[in-house]
Amino acid sequence: MLGEILNTYYLQIGSFILINIMLAISVYVPLSSGQLSLGSAGFMGVGAYTSALLTIHFDLPIFVGVIAGALAASILGVIVGIPSLRLSGVYLAIATLGLGEVIRVIFVNWDSLTKGSVGLTGIPQLGREILEFSRGLGFEPAMIGIRNNQFVFLSIFLVLLILVIAILWFVIRQQNSRVGRALQSINMDDRAAESMGINITHYKVVAFTQGAFFAGLAGALFAHVIGYISPADFSYHRAVEVLIFTVFGGSEVIIGSVFGAFFLTLMPEVLRFVSEFRYIIYGILLVVLMAVRPQGILDANLLKKFKFKRSKGGVR
Amino acid sequence: MLLEQIINGITLGSIYAIIALGFTLVFGVLGIINMAHGEIFMVGAFVGVTTTGVLGWPLWLAFIAAIVVTSILGYLLERFTLRPLRGKKGVSHLAPLISTIGVSILLENLSHHIFGAGNKPFNTSFSEISINIGSITVYLVQIVIFVISILLMIGLTVWLSKTKAGKALRATADNLETASILGVDTKKIIILTVVVASAIGGIAGILVGMAFNSVSPQMGLSMGLKGLAIIILGGMGNVKGAMVGGLILGLSETMLVAYGDSGYRDAIAFIMIIVILLLRPQGIFGSKVSQERR
Repeated sequence: MLGEILNTYYLQIGSFILINIMLAISVYVPLSSGQLSLGSAGFMGVGAYTSALLTIHFDLPIFVGVIAGALAASILGVIVGIPSLRLSGVYLAIATLGLGEVIRVIFVNWDSLTKGSVGLTGIPQLGREILEFSRGLGFEPAMIGIRNNQFVFLSIFLVLLILVIAILWFVIRQQNSRVGRALQSINMDDRAAESMGINITHYKVVAFTQGAFFAGLAGALFAHVIGYISPADFSYHRAVEVLIFTVFGGSEVIIGSVFGAFFLTLMPEVLRFVSEFRYIIYGILLVVLMAVRPQGILDANLLKKFKFKRSKGGVR
Repeated sequence: MLLEQIINGITLGSIYAIIALGFTLVFGVLGIINMAHGEIFMVGAFVGVTTTGVLGWPLWLAFIAAIVVTSILGYLLERFTLRPLRGKKGVSHLAPLISTIGVSILLENLSHHIFGAGNKPFNTSFSEISINIGSITVYLVQIVIFVISILLMIGLTVWLSKTKAGKALRATADNLETASILGVDTKKIIILTVVVASAIGGIAGILVGMAFNSVSPQMGLSMGLKGLAIIILGGMGNVKGAMVGGLILGLSETMLVAYGDSGYRDAIAFIMIIVILLLRPQGIFGSKVSQERR
């Protein structure tokens, strides 16, 4: 019964949407403190390669590799963030743009480790490991009436879903905390924030590093979901794509990133012709959005109306 | 050998300097990083390829064509992406940055669709001619590039310091409101700045095509990044800084290729950004004001 409902193709698109939501949040968090990061693709690459190499060469379990990948990305975030965040947001944008390109150049050139532009193959797959693990516990997918590959895709989807919910919970909780209010005030006016006694460089680095962590996490998971990565997966285009998720969906509210990633990942799947001209459309979209609706599709006002209509508060 | 490398480095550096000039002019006047400048430059290079390669026009005509096309692009960029954001309330300072990123990705993928992904050769009638001085070989192309970039830099400096339009531009860069009170038509000056910067980018595009003998839609990004690194090195909005910074980057890249690992050539620009941000964030020639937090 369950076996007939589950379509592996839909589950896979669902998994991509969830990974993209993570990436969009990785741009949203620094942006909510007024910092534009163009390095999400680079951080994603660092996470992906770290985790892939650790699991391939040292036979580590995937979750250790994923955590190591995310940590590696956030350490890099601190190293790049501290010099550039002392200055205006423009410097960060340039430094992260440069960072992304350099990371790609290193992946292409460090042949002995990264196999150059060919990329890494045979990365342990998340779904298979979960399948083997649950078999070890004496569980067979057939027991709930689904095939092995359905179980693989379903388990990936569920793991990602739990992670995304955890991240969303963390970010929303943070927004209502001391840190979140500090970030908000920096976004509105960093000088006023500084004069109120907020250490703005500290909080900017915190926000930026969180972004790097989420991007690294998403990258590592991406590697273990796909099983194959190459430097081309982490190019500047990917960084711009992630930026568009957030800017299109709404960069002032967290639900905007979720909506943007969801909508713009699903779009090329539903409308095939969109996929071919995707980046051209993205480019036009960015220009039009900035001129007409710089805060993105969803903003606080729209959500308030929504809430009013439904009379019960759902999204925030 | 070393002398040859230095000549190569200076040629490359003078091209980088010209690209950086385009960034620095726009930043100086508008306080905006024009992320689309690299792609405008790339369009200039493709105009050069099409006119000299496909249509068989002479080089000087190719230059004029590139200047015309990129000037129009510059005007459109100002009209449709920068002007709507200016003076609007509630627009964050990141909006023009994001908007020009949109233009850059649009231009790159348009030329990808039109010209294809691969490298296009850029042949000039004199690309093989070289002069031997002692043991050193100097290509005529290198001399042409060097002379054109020097002329361009001198021309720009004179234009900025002596002419009325140049003075108005500098006044606007200094303080837009004061300049407009004193009777400068700042709207016109802003258009002029973006158009001139784009035209310079177009010239740089042809020079790069001549120097590397190949043009591709992806070159805008890597060259644009180098231009950005140079203006951070030389000081944002500083014309002299852009020239010196360009030469430094050109020379260090050539030295790395000659005596080190050529694969990491593109990494130098980034390392330079980080080092300069740590040591002297206002850049070599920058004043203290420009490092102010925006």
